[in-house]
Amino acid sequence: MPTITFSLKDLQRLVGKKLAIGEVSELAHYGKGDLENYDEEADEVKIDFGDTNLPYLWSAEGFARLIKGILGMQKGFPEIKLQKGDYQVIVDKSVAKIRPFIACFAAKGQKIDEYLLKQLVQLQEKFCETYGRRRQKVSIGLYSYKRLKFPVHYRAVEPLAVEFIPLEFKAKMNLREMLAEHPKGKEYAWILDGLEKYPVLIDDKNEVMSFIPIINSNFTGKLEVGDENLFFEATGTDEEAVNLAANIFAYALHDRNFDIYSAEMKYPDRKVVIPDTKKEAVQIKNEQINNLFGLELKESEVKHLLEKSRYNFRDYKVEVPAYRKDILHPYDIIEDIGIMYGFDKIKELPLTTFTIGSTLKINEFIDKVREIIAGLGYQEVMSPVLTNKEFLYKKMYMEDFGTIEIEDYMSETYSAVRSWVLPNMMEVFSKNKHVEFPQKIFEEGLVNIRKSDSIVECSRIAIAASHESANYTEIRQVLDYVMKCFGLKCDIEEAEHNSFIEGRCARAIVKGKKVAYLGEINPQVLENWNLEMPVAAMELNLTELFKMIKNK
Amino acid sequence: MDIKKLAESLNPVERKVVKVLDNFSSFHDIVKITGLKDVEVARALQWLQNKNVIKINEEQKELVFLDENGGKYLKYGLPEKKVLQSLEKPAGISELKEKAMLSDEEIAVSLGVLKSKAAIEIQKGKDIIVSMTDNGRHLLKKGFIEEQFLKENFPRDAASLNEEEKFVVDNLRKRKKIIKVELSKVVSAKLTETGKKLVKEKLDEELIEKATQSLIKTGSWKGKKFRRFDVKINVPQVFAGRKQHYRRFLDEVRLKFIALGFKEMAGPVVESDFWDMDALFMPQFHSARDIHQGYYIKEPKYAKDLPEDIVKNVKAAHENGFGTGSKGWRYGFDVKRTHRHILRTHDTSISARTLASKDLKIPGKYFQISRCFRYDVIDSTHLPDFNQVGGFVIEEGINFGHLKALLRLFAEEFAETDEIRIKPSYFPFTEPSAELQAKHPEMGWIELAGAGIFRPELVKPLVGKEVPVIAWGVGLDRLAMFKLGIKDIRLLFSHDLGFLRNVKVI
Repeated sequence: MPTITFSLKDLQRLVGKKLAIGEVSELAHYGKGDLENYDEEADEVKIDFGDTNLPYLWSAEGFARLIKGILGMQKGFPEIKLQKGDYQVIVDKSVAKIRPFIACFAAKGQKIDEYLLKQLVQLQEKFCETYGRRRQKVSIGLYSYKRLKFPVHYRAVEPLAVEFIPLEFKAKMNLREMLAEHPKGKEYAWILDGLEKYPVLIDDKNEVMSFIPIINSNFTGKLEVGDENLFFEATGTDEEAVNLAANIFAYALHDRNFDIYSAEMKYPDRKVVIPDTKKEAVQIKNEQINNLFGLELKESEVKHLLEKSRYNFRDYKVEVPAYRKDILHPYDIIEDIGIMYGFDKIKELPLTTFTIGSTLKINEFIDKVREIIAGLGYQEVMSPVLTNKEFLYKKMYMEDFGTIEIEDYMSETYSAVRSWVLPNMMEVFSKNKHVEFPQKIFEEGLVNIRKSDSIVECSRIAIAASHESANYTEIRQVLDYVMKCFGLKCDIEEAEHNSFIEGRCARAIVKGKKVAYLGEINPQVLENWNLEMPVAAMELNLTELFKMIKNK
Repeated sequence: MDIKKLAESLNPVERKVVKVLDNFSSFHDIVKITGLKDVEVARALQWLQNKNVIKINEEQKELVFLDENGGKYLKYGLPEKKVLQSLEKPAGISELKEKAMLSDEEIAVSLGVLKSKAAIEIQKGKDIIVSMTDNGRHLLKKGFIEEQFLKENFPRDAASLNEEEKFVVDNLRKRKKIIKVELSKVVSAKLTETGKKLVKEKLDEELIEKATQSLIKTGSWKGKKFRRFDVKINVPQVFAGRKQHYRRFLDEVRLKFIALGFKEMAGPVVESDFWDMDALFMPQFHSARDIHQGYYIKEPKYAKDLPEDIVKNVKAAHENGFGTGSKGWRYGFDVKRTHRHILRTHDTSISARTLASKDLKIPGKYFQISRCFRYDVIDSTHLPDFNQVGGFVIEEGINFGHLKALLRLFAEEFAETDEIRIKPSYFPFTEPSAELQAKHPEMGWIELAGAGIFRPELVKPLVGKEVPVIAWGVGLDRLAMFKLGIKDIRLLFSHDLGFLRNVKVI
């Protein structure tokens, strides 16, 4: 969820117009963002751009570029005047199977001040964490190229083969040590899990610039306030995303009057010049606008709206700026026409087709059962479906009878899907020891049981009474009453179940199917839940019961 | 209330009490005269005061009470008297003890008392010999003033004692547990003006206390009056069995959707990556799909029941757009991974299942209310389990205008407002995407729904053709919390019976 922070004054400078914070808030909606906060004193605007696929907006420059389109100050998208640079990056074949792609360029001509440095780092972090999937897909490095000797080399090396001083450290370390000891190493080591060689960027003097995608060198890999010569590098597993990162940065720096110098990526089998600002063209049709928005627009209107949205338009051929890679389908462009037209101006059309509403038949049945049980004086409760094996079995004095367990849980309390509902009843009692008795409760809900390699999901209802004289008769009466209500004949047989007192536990059988356990709860279970009052309870399978009623 | 009605409202205990109030006022006296228990009198006095018949007066007074031994001596006589009675002839200590049946301590105290009254003489030789004096004989005849005092009506107000009584009290207090003097609450009752009128009323009329079966059967109630009840009185609280507050809210939401012509759908809690994400055209490399965003399950790892022909279509949509005019995501779709089991992260998975089902009706309106799971820290705004309400409308020719009208309908139905804002938003499976904000009359602007038109790359692989599908999800938890008057989202699943029994029904 990228929330970006920038100075309102800076945004106004970039746009070239005074903007009130209210206007900024409205303008953010065009970029699917929401103003989160404005601190006038600190001149700090925070905008949440949500879960969008438009990373170019995660910096003041990108947002300002969009605003200039919306306000009609510029039409279509701006071109970058690229200078041909003398920068070569030699990509070794050793990275091909590890992290094959790299995109670099250089920017110069402006001094980097503290604010700009912060902006660049912000864009870098938001891009890598979200779009770059926590650096796995794309990671970005920024350097001051004055310290570098070109060409630079992108290759994979043995973890112990090179040593350098990582950012903010004082001593040389090898790559393995960095993964174990450097905070960034610990954070991102998972990306390199199982690799024998690690990717590095090394300059022609054999000075390591960066251990990719972990940490830059404290010497060559540090961009500082006052620098005028910036070298950008993005690496990753997806060439389009890596190139997009370079384009977004190139545009942002270009908007700040840097001169952008291209660099050549020399792969073993091809050469790529970065930034690659080739325009993508998409053919759209006027009727698609009508299909999606019910709008009938003239070509000139379509052109006007698309140019506001910073596309180039000619004969329904739409050119997409190189800082956007979110266009998969013409509808992605049509949406922008709708946004620029204004969602609020689009006419509402009522749905007039007659359709019959209905609920699931099983839910109708479940509701009837709930109503009956509540009518017997039981209070309904609702619990999370997620629980843990201690609750499900250990405290219930039971063996695991098939559990869906979470592989990578956040908290052990919620590490399994419940396989029955009765433990929730005990949990409720255990939290209400000092509340007035009798306590009579029930809960209907889904349970999931693992049966070797398949999963059985069904609806169960647990009903439990706790008071001085809670007993088998009481809970059996509830069962009998439910069966009678639905005209079902129910056989009762003696059963053994560790959670219940031996000799006071029964199984209910309807049409040869086991549908319920009922009885008095084993004092051992009560003790496990730290309870002092007797409990009579049952758990009834409503999915099974529903089948029988349906097939009657 | 007029006096007659008042008289008819008195219960038998109140009547008994009120009748004696003309002559007696102290609590103690009332108990004694009426023969009622302390608690009965206390309750009756309270009721009478509530009816403005009496005024209860409470004050702190120093009272003289008869103590444990005092009661005993009152019944069996003072030990010093017993000693004197055993001294027909002079006797030794052990002989006295046996004759008077007293303990060592009582003998010692008695001798001290009798000595001070010059009622005995003690000769100390080899053995101690005690003999009665003339004074003693006189005393025995006349009786002890202490014993006389014990016969008084206790407790006695210390302030009302005369000089002689004070002297006795001072003496007895020095001895073990005969009397005690304590500062105590003294309750007395005085008739009010109403009360004075009341006691002149006929209070002996027989009133029926309880309507019983036999009373009605025999008709014996005829010609008699029922005692009047104080119908304004507070009665003890009762708790009914009832539906859980949040679930009741969701039940009503379900009814609303049925009323709006929506059909309910369902899907399993344990989903596959396929239905949860891939079928929704969310690329397998999407950031929302990191392991830390969803609960993948340990075993069984893979679903076995995916419709493989539709998996093939979805794979093509991801890889090349499946002939929809889309480029697709252009990567190698991992068929094994799509089978991976995960706890449903959102309810849209159920929409995907329905779209792919052979029972899908076009045109159709569908909804679901379902439990979903997202990897999150639990706090006052996040739960591991939450309920989502969502669905879709499928119909040839519908577009964003219909979506807007639908969202307005939701605002009217759920937030009781027609003041809405619809702004651009982003969801990976809809294009365009919009967010509905509604101005609730009391809560102000709230985010009520996310919506959009399902992407062609999603619809065509599942339905087999391109049809417009308006997809929507409404977020009703905040609304539920507002209606229920709760601030902490965890209370939606509260296990606190006190809360559950008392939370308001909405």
